[in-house]
Amino acid sequence: MSGKRKAKKDNSSGSRPLKRIAIVGLPNTGKSQVFNNLTGEYTLVANYPLTTVEIKRTRCEIDGEPYEVIDTPGLHCLYIHSEEELIVRDMIFSEKPDMIIQCIDANQLKQSLTLTADLLELGIPMVISLNAIDETARRGVWIDSDGLSRLLGVPVVESIAVNGLGTRELKGAISKARRGKWSLRYVDIIDDGISAIESELPEDVSFKRKVAVLLLLADPFLADYLRAEYGQEKVAQLKNKVNRVRRQFRGNFSRALNNKRSRWVDDIVNNTTRKQKITPGESSKVFARLSRHPVFGIPILLAVVFIMFLLVVNVANVIAGWMDTTVWVSVESKINSLVPAGFWNDFLIGDYGVLSLGLANAFLTVLPILTVFFIAFNILEDIGYIPNLCVLTKRIFDKLGLSGSAIMPLVLGFGCKTMATLTTKSLRSKKERYISIYLIAFAIPCAAQLGLNMSILGRMGIMAFVVAFSVLGFVEIAAGMALNKILREEGRTDFIQELPAIRLPNAKAVMVKTYYRLRWFIKEAVPVFLYAAVALFVIDKIGILDAMKNILGPIVNGLLGLPSQMVDALILCMARHEAAAGLMIKLIEKGQLNYVQCIVSVTLTTMFVPCFANIMAMIKELGTRRALTAVLIINCTAIMVAGILNWVLVGLFNL
Amino acid sequence: MNRKREKDEHIERLYYMKEEETDSMDILRSAMNENYDADIIDELLSGDMVELSEGENKIRLTKKGEDYARQLIRAHRLAERLLYDVLGGDYESGACEFEHTVTPELVDSICILLGHPRACPHGMPIPQGQCCRHSSRTAQSSVIPLVELEVGQSARVAYINCKSDQQLHKIDSLCIRPGAVVTLHQRYPTYVIECEGSNIAMDEEIVSNICVWREPQHFQSAGKETPA
Repeated sequence: MSGKRKAKKDNSSGSRPLKRIAIVGLPNTGKSQVFNNLTGEYTLVANYPLTTVEIKRTRCEIDGEPYEVIDTPGLHCLYIHSEEELIVRDMIFSEKPDMIIQCIDANQLKQSLTLTADLLELGIPMVISLNAIDETARRGVWIDSDGLSRLLGVPVVESIAVNGLGTRELKGAISKARRGKWSLRYVDIIDDGISAIESELPEDVSFKRKVAVLLLLADPFLADYLRAEYGQEKVAQLKNKVNRVRRQFRGNFSRALNNKRSRWVDDIVNNTTRKQKITPGESSKVFARLSRHPVFGIPILLAVVFIMFLLVVNVANVIAGWMDTTVWVSVESKINSLVPAGFWNDFLIGDYGVLSLGLANAFLTVLPILTVFFIAFNILEDIGYIPNLCVLTKRIFDKLGLSGSAIMPLVLGFGCKTMATLTTKSLRSKKERYISIYLIAFAIPCAAQLGLNMSILGRMGIMAFVVAFSVLGFVEIAAGMALNKILREEGRTDFIQELPAIRLPNAKAVMVKTYYRLRWFIKEAVPVFLYAAVALFVIDKIGILDAMKNILGPIVNGLLGLPSQMVDALILCMARHEAAAGLMIKLIEKGQLNYVQCIVSVTLTTMFVPCFANIMAMIKELGTRRALTAVLIINCTAIMVAGILNWVLVGLFNL
Repeated sequence: MNRKREKDEHIERLYYMKEEETDSMDILRSAMNENYDADIIDELLSGDMVELSEGENKIRLTKKGEDYARQLIRAHRLAERLLYDVLGGDYESGACEFEHTVTPELVDSICILLGHPRACPHGMPIPQGQCCRHSSRTAQSSVIPLVELEVGQSARVAYINCKSDQQLHKIDSLCIRPGAVVTLHQRYPTYVIECEGSNIAMDEEIVSNICVWREPQHFQSAGKETPA
């Protein structure tokens, strides 16, 4: 790890005309939104923490000057709590950005200033982007941003980042970034101790004062870092010194330093904010409370899911059907008139044609459904509804052996399983990490899959949807409980989770996000649709496909009770879940999947083989061997569960 | 300085050394500075409070000495807690005098009043007394764990018992700290509290480690964000 870090350092010192701007801030304070506003690029934004889990960088020009802008995951303070925070601190310590833009959510000024205190101590020029200033105004809180700027000694720019307001001012402030006023002194005994440790640090350590403070606070990651860079001996020497200072002080440094910092923050907040005595009640707060309420929360959740379901069935399916009858039918007849039946006709519009199974499947069947679903889902994300689910589901997760902090990654799995897998970094215990990565890969459908599942099952009626998702939920819980039994117990991670404030969705933001999600789908998934169609076409023509269908016959037809065409879907599923879903929709339209078969296939494909990106993320977090073992286990379980489901539905309920 | 106080100071120092896992006579001498008194060590020896080993290079408290020291330290750290939480300021100078003049009963009362804190404002452990072991609760207990608030009630944080520095930093970074006003919103399926405008979901274990002032007047008088 240190090797990589060094390499990066060398790279940068080679050619340094480019100034680096790091965007840093608490979780869910609009860092990615500011990144997008500044650079004109797009990274996914949402109204909840953990949307960004990895560092993203891009080059751009601001007021005629080239910059590299770096977007980072959330950070609470420079004393590190989790690995995704460590990524940010490592980046700051090793790359020494020329400037920091700290994003502050004006609603959470106090929390943010705690981080500001830490950042100012680094001595890097800073600008503060004071975000969501419209919301504080509505809540009767007035923040004197000029006063704030005076007290901190750095430019403070008000902004409403979702609407892009304040971006021009922020760009203008970049050239005015300054080192802030760092007036925080501790008692003599601590300050002397800090200086003493500073002088012991190796020459080339940057941010000596902060490093010294962190050593006094016994930051576990920092010692590892120094050991890797400067060897055991130096660290032991430093530890000696630190222990000596600690002994002199005879108290708890963390408390003493935090107390001092809190008082500094309180002073600043008291001097720069005014609160109205009477404020209107906020309906968003009431909704937030209801959505977490043990009694009202569940009906609200069901209603949300039901509305999404209705949207998919009554809007998306209708659009997809219309596209199919108007666009595809005319294309098909055109091609039939141009290309006579035979090899090329098959290649283009046969069962495994590039146009039929590839393009039409992607653009005419899947894309309309995804569009509608993504709009609904993005609204939900912008409202900030989803993280509240972690309160509702807490007890279930307790049963699964997961402490609360594993909830967020799992809940995020309903958005994108790959990102969710990466967020498991925030979990300390290996056992919890393993269980949550496994569960994310297993029976949780990602947003695209959820939308398509709704579309498929919606064709069979709401009961099919209820049955399939109850089964998935049940299987997921059972898998969690089994893993909890099998894996060795370890320490649990504490559960402290900030919940984002419920906000009214912003129409423009939702549309932009939907646009990018679809664009990524077209860019990443559509080529896969085409390759997969060609591959199926080839193995069909040379007879391998039929052979496979024969071999897999006992499983697919016998155990699962599915038609042999589902083998095609399962193969497509390995390439891209959406492609399989498209094919299944076609099978339903042709009348080749009945009620039970439909439920069985959806449960099967939802559990079957996580998508390629998800597998890569699993490899990254677990290592190749364990990740592939997990995938294998997941697939076997998926087939078994689908088999049992088929047997229960057909045998017991005579469906 | 009277004789008893000087003796007590030596014993306290020896207790600190025990916490830091040292028993060297040199450290005792250098830590006590000009207050070091060889006669007192002799007195303590004859009183069976301390024992020496390795020639006279190592010194530590006997069982009897340690019991006595624990009472002193308990009083001292509880006094710090009291002064710090109530007056919110300089606690060290006042507390220094305190432990030499109070009775164990008075110390227990303070402990009950403060809801059996486990650490002093410096974060050093407060030795447990009889009252903690029985977790005595009387009507005048002013500081209660946050879990005991009614849903919808607000209170000001008195202090936080933390199991680790990691946890302390995490809680502190969310602005849950002495003096902050918190509101309990929800108990089930998990706890949700509001602090400084943000909602935070957390485990029962953490919520029960946050101790708040019970009296509503405390909350009102401190409504302007910070204690004096």
